[in-house]
Amino acid sequence: MSRLDCEEAVAHLYDYLKLELTPELVEEVRTHLDRCCDCAGHARFEQQFLQMLEARVSKETCPNEVRARIVAALRAAARGS
Amino acid sequence: MAEPSTAALRSFDEEALPHLDTLYRVALRLTADPTLAEDLVQDTMLKAYRSWRQYRPGTNARGWLLTILRNTFINDFRRRKHEPVAMDLEAVEPHAIYRSVQDTDPEGTFFSQIVDAKVVEAIDALPADFREVLALSDIEGMSYGEIAETLKIPVGTVKSRLFRARRQLQARLYAHAVEMGYIKPREAPR
Repeated sequence: MSRLDCEEAVAHLYDYLKLELTPELVEEVRTHLDRCCDCAGHARFEQQFLQMLEARVSKETCPNEVRARIVAALRAAARGS
Repeated sequence: MAEPSTAALRSFDEEALPHLDTLYRVALRLTADPTLAEDLVQDTMLKAYRSWRQYRPGTNARGWLLTILRNTFINDFRRRKHEPVAMDLEAVEPHAIYRSVQDTDPEGTFFSQIVDAKVVEAIDALPADFREVLALSDIEGMSYGEIAETLKIPVGTVKSRLFRARRQLQARLYAHAVEMGYIKPREAPR
């Protein structure tokens, strides 16, 4: 099994955290993080960042008046008007 | 072309309407303009409804709708929005912000001090191709494969755009945090 250096491990961090790596690469990144405090700290930081992004922005919803306007437009289209 | 039947409208209500919030959020990121986003979502939904017979029930309605949203944006909206001159996306390679904060704030607590509106503003300041992948992956939670299929680009391109988008966004948020005094600036170690 090839060993990742820090630069390679960091390049894979986002994809590792997003569960987008092959099982082999997951294992290699995990092995590196277990042995390297610096990269493990970096991984925690990136995880915080990704969690913050999702928590902050995914709560925006389509405003009710926009929703109502769109549903009305769909009903009008269904009536063929 | 005949309009779809009432039964079609019912299945559209059940399969397509639940994705309205996702479409609206992605439209906001694509247009970076709430008024344009509303028009974009409405046009998308009407187009989707008119071609609903092409949708195979039970398949990926969200991806199908997002593809229509994206095509509508490119064909009808992009020219209406003032987009900064396209930059060489490949040339942008910001360093990891972690290097600047690892001694002072390794857990990134400064992120929590930044208000939601500033986070949104920083995302909307990214190049359009970056905003798009970031919205689909990190906000809507789509897999890289699903994004590649929706945007008709290779998975490798999705990955590299996401990497740069996240790095650029971090750099903007960090600059804002420094400006606001949430964190003390520090030169990245060589």
